[in-house]
Amino acid sequence: MRTTTLDDYKRRILRVMVHVQNHLEDPLDLERLAGVAAFSPYHFHRVWKGMVGEPLDAYVRRLRLERAATRLKTTDRPILDLALEAGYTTHEAFTRAFRAGFGRSPSEFRRDHAGERASGSDPGVPGFEPKAPEVPSLEVEIRDLETLRVAFSRHVGPYDGCGATWDRLLTWAGSEGLVGQDTRFIGMCHDDPEITPAGRVRYDACITIDRDVVPAGEFGVQTVAGGPHARTSHFGPYGELARTYVRLVGQWAPRSGRELRPLPCLEMYLNSPESTEPEDLVTDVFLPLEP
Amino acid sequence: MSADAKLDLYKLHKSDYTAKRAPAIVDVAEARYLAIDGRGEPGGPDFQSGIGALYGVAFTVKMTRKMAGRGDYAVCKLEAQWWHDGGDDLSRVPKSEWRWRMMIRTPDFVEPPELERAARKLVEKNKGEAVSRVWLETIAEGRCVQVLHVGPYDREHETIEAMRAFAEERGLAFHGLHHEIYLSDPRRVEPSRLKTILRRPVR
Repeated sequence: MRTTTLDDYKRRILRVMVHVQNHLEDPLDLERLAGVAAFSPYHFHRVWKGMVGEPLDAYVRRLRLERAATRLKTTDRPILDLALEAGYTTHEAFTRAFRAGFGRSPSEFRRDHAGERASGSDPGVPGFEPKAPEVPSLEVEIRDLETLRVAFSRHVGPYDGCGATWDRLLTWAGSEGLVGQDTRFIGMCHDDPEITPAGRVRYDACITIDRDVVPAGEFGVQTVAGGPHARTSHFGPYGELARTYVRLVGQWAPRSGRELRPLPCLEMYLNSPESTEPEDLVTDVFLPLEP
Repeated sequence: MSADAKLDLYKLHKSDYTAKRAPAIVDVAEARYLAIDGRGEPGGPDFQSGIGALYGVAFTVKMTRKMAGRGDYAVCKLEAQWWHDGGDDLSRVPKSEWRWRMMIRTPDFVEPPELERAARKLVEKNKGEAVSRVWLETIAEGRCVQVLHVGPYDREHETIEAMRAFAEERGLAFHGLHHEIYLSDPRRVEPSRLKTILRRPVR
């Protein structure tokens, strides 16, 4: 096992910060920045958010505006030019965003700082300390999952709509005699709902099967890769899972000494939402790790 | 209840499933269950395969009806009766001689052929042979002492003594089988917080 330290994670996040700083004119999409950090795009945004605290897109937007502010102070360049450099196509949109960040319009800001023209160049990349993990920290164990064969049905759309997909899967599988007490109920989350537009989030509702099942209609069969995973338990409503993901991927993983594997996270549902109050639900979240 | 609302026997018969930590007298109407019998200690291999078979049949019967558009209902919580061949005081015999009947309350419209079909499918799908032992049982308990036991299963005898004393004060005696309803999942809840309804017919 190769050890990846918190310093490694810090260095990679810092590399992204430097890259963003030097490429504010360029497209700075998630995929590209994950590549800069050598992180899997599956997990990069959560690592970023857990370590930096600010979502990546907000960070990029803020830096672009701050650079525009510096240039308002230190140059005479037309405001529309600065707006375009900051990624805004109109003066109005730029003014609105600028006012939200600095409490004044760009021209007011320039007037207020009229005496500071001499001060020179754009600021460099500031130092960066990872956000401290929440207390109490998450209880995480490393577990080797066996490779699982599952029957599944895919849901595309917001997570809160996946109940209907589960209902269809379980009705079919139950009537086929595929569900017993040893059946495990697994959610495979292909997208980060903070990144992918809600309408496009892909989620596979899966049940374990112990022998060959023939795919039928919307119900397919696939293999869930085994191997080392970080496991933590989420207690409470499914709607609050996002916070457990940020704590696991963004706060635990950078301090774990482990590298993340570019595969989707898994959720295992340990009790049934049909017979359990939302606050009593228990969900194990599995984050795939490199061996 | 509207025509398409899901039937939930647990909510419908709420009074059967309400209990406080002080014993009380309740009148329990006749009820139908999916049931499986066995012998041996709780958690032993026969017990585990019995519970698995019971849930497998319960789920398969429900989903077969639902798939066929014949309505839907919630699968109820697990219940059980416990006894031994020489009587009802389990503390007198080793756990290997305990006898149990695991039960899941089931709507009256479920018929024996549905169980047979479900069991056949489960055997085909390699879910074990114990599914063939699941049958439909109707139980009429009538007047009972009922109480909520909070804590580990192996401290139930203390609560049962309180039930017995409560009954005797009222000139009543236990008869019929000890019955428990598992409100908590022992795999998720620590023993000191487990909630179990204990019920005993009296006369």
